[in-house]
Amino acid sequence: MTQQVLNAIFIGSIYALFAVGYTLVFGVLDVLNLAHSAVFMLGAVVTYSLVALHGMPFLPAAVIAILVCGLLGLLIEFVALRPLRRRNAPPISALISTIGLALIFVAIVEQATSGSLFSWLWQDGANSVRFPTGTVPNPTFHVAGLTIEGTKLGILVISVVLMLVLGYVMRFTQVGRALRAVAENRRAATLLGINVDRIFASTLFVSSALGGLAGLLFGLALSDISPYIGRDQVELKGLAVIVLGGMGSIPGAVLGGYLLGLIEVFAFVRFGSNIEAGVAFAALFLVLVLRPQGLFGARLRERL
Amino acid sequence: MRTVARGIAIALAVALAACGGASSTGTNSSNSYQGKTIQLGAILSITGAGGVYGPSSQKGMDLAVEKINGSGGVNGAKISLDTKDDASDKAQSAQVAQTLIQQGQLLALLGPTLSNSAVAVHPLAESFKIPILAVSTTGIHIVPDCNYPKTDPCKYVFRDSLGEETAIPTNIKVYSEAKHPKTGVLMVANDDKFSSDGGKIVQNTVGSYGIQLLDTVQFSKTTADFATPVTKAVQKKPDVIFITSLGGIPAKIMIEARKQGFTGQFLGGNGFNTAVVSKQAGDAGKGAESGSAWYINNTFASNAGFVQAYRAKYSADPDQFAAQGYAAILILADAAKRANLTFSDTPGDRTKLRDAMESVNIDTPLGRFQFTSNHDVKQTIWVIQMDGNGGFTLVKSVTPS
Repeated sequence: MTQQVLNAIFIGSIYALFAVGYTLVFGVLDVLNLAHSAVFMLGAVVTYSLVALHGMPFLPAAVIAILVCGLLGLLIEFVALRPLRRRNAPPISALISTIGLALIFVAIVEQATSGSLFSWLWQDGANSVRFPTGTVPNPTFHVAGLTIEGTKLGILVISVVLMLVLGYVMRFTQVGRALRAVAENRRAATLLGINVDRIFASTLFVSSALGGLAGLLFGLALSDISPYIGRDQVELKGLAVIVLGGMGSIPGAVLGGYLLGLIEVFAFVRFGSNIEAGVAFAALFLVLVLRPQGLFGARLRERL
Repeated sequence: MRTVARGIAIALAVALAACGGASSTGTNSSNSYQGKTIQLGAILSITGAGGVYGPSSQKGMDLAVEKINGSGGVNGAKISLDTKDDASDKAQSAQVAQTLIQQGQLLALLGPTLSNSAVAVHPLAESFKIPILAVSTTGIHIVPDCNYPKTDPCKYVFRDSLGEETAIPTNIKVYSEAKHPKTGVLMVANDDKFSSDGGKIVQNTVGSYGIQLLDTVQFSKTTADFATPVTKAVQKKPDVIFITSLGGIPAKIMIEARKQGFTGQFLGGNGFNTAVVSKQAGDAGKGAESGSAWYINNTFASNAGFVQAYRAKYSADPDQFAAQGYAAILILADAAKRANLTFSDTPGDRTKLRDAMESVNIDTPLGRFQFTSNHDVKQTIWVIQMDGNGGFTLVKSVTPS
């Protein structure tokens, strides 16, 4: 059972890291960015591409991939969100346009084989691949019957540190205050001299960079990089996490991530996989009935 | 000038067709299909979960079509193959099949890639009386009972892909006779027909070889982190972990199990049999055994020629799915050659083709190929193991009884 708790904490930190990016955009822009899962996937794919196809060492590859994902965030903002906002389109339109972008991103990767247009990015079509062995040293410790992997431990530390940093930035810095002001009231923020468009763009950049990071860590630790890792494995769970934690709340997303990881693993061990998802979503339902605003959404007006 | 050139071309084509006929397996048809086209349709999963397999099938089929058309066609007729992607989705697969059938000209269909989709597509083909040859579906109730739970045989449904019902028990038998394992744990994806069928076959087989199944760990094919189900399996300390699942999942389970200190054997089915899975599993997969319909290093002519042509065309190694796709076109071409097709009465031609398919007996990359009376595969089974470097080595070949 102890091993299973470790498993839960680990998968929980991936969920949390993914969901933080999700919730950040929702908190500031009031739209769900459903291309976030595709950016998550591209974080893994770009890193893999640089390492396996272009022979780059892992660390610089990871940094470049994170930046690329940040830039994709800007692409999302400029292509899928800003033009609609200019026309005062309802949030549902933005939701649909981000789904469209997600489909395009996934299709680019799944259609890429050697000899095709995007073969510099990906050559394995719909297949799942993993980093070449030895890309990142992965010492595995066996302590008291428990298996602890170096990479997973590293990911846990990275996730926690990043989430603390983000929390600090939101709470105590000028940028964070500006973000929260925009989240609170767009018009008032504009009147106070905050450049709202720039805040939106930087939110998308940071959120997508985080999503990309979550994706590459996922690919590294779970030996699974494919066009579908975002869509099949974290998209719906990420949504569940931010609803559980309270839409737009960063501490909520973090706590929700770990909570969902624990509930899932517990349900799997106790009841088996047939109702694993059922138990997780029943817990979600229960939270929504008891606290419709989510765990951390106490004061809906004051988000982030 | 032009007519002369055309005359020469026709003469050449006829000569080539005659050569093809003479070297065929005995049945020499006098009927010439000169100038006609044999239209086939394939429903494959090029994208989605089955995207691991579909593109291989497609490449194998394209290669065979190219080879046959390049050497005079089928009694002079060209084969044209219309391939459609079903995105690994059951509903979409049925939709695509419907569209292909309604075009009205197709003599036969191939596919679909996944057993899960075959459940929708095969009964459709059966009801339209159009022969359909499955090239990668290995689940149970594919042939002959495509309308399961109704058990009356489907007359128009065939498959050239070795069923898990044959492959898995053969594999377990070969391993048990060599290593005498006592205990096992089954890991099975429960939200996919191919995987859960495989699981049932393992459960029904292990008893006959004195293997006690300590636990069956079920998981979803969309599981992100396999640490949780693997921990559950490894903690039982089995001699063998059976894995019946699709895509990259077997590889992920092997990697995770080795990390958690499992030192026993992995046994599985068709899910193991692609270089992609072997490559992804790497070291962790070394020694993992499965029953396969095809083995790349077989040196008999019909396989060596296929492997060579495939490498030349695609600069990559073929896999089992490419071999089965390639064999499927050979099978349909052989049947068409002997079917005395009219090319004017499509429903009649479809039935003639179906009848001729029943007596196919040809050399393919899979080995000598025939259909059983149930339209299932009758061929040698190659028990293979992963070599730790993305390839396979042969453990044993088992000829059909």
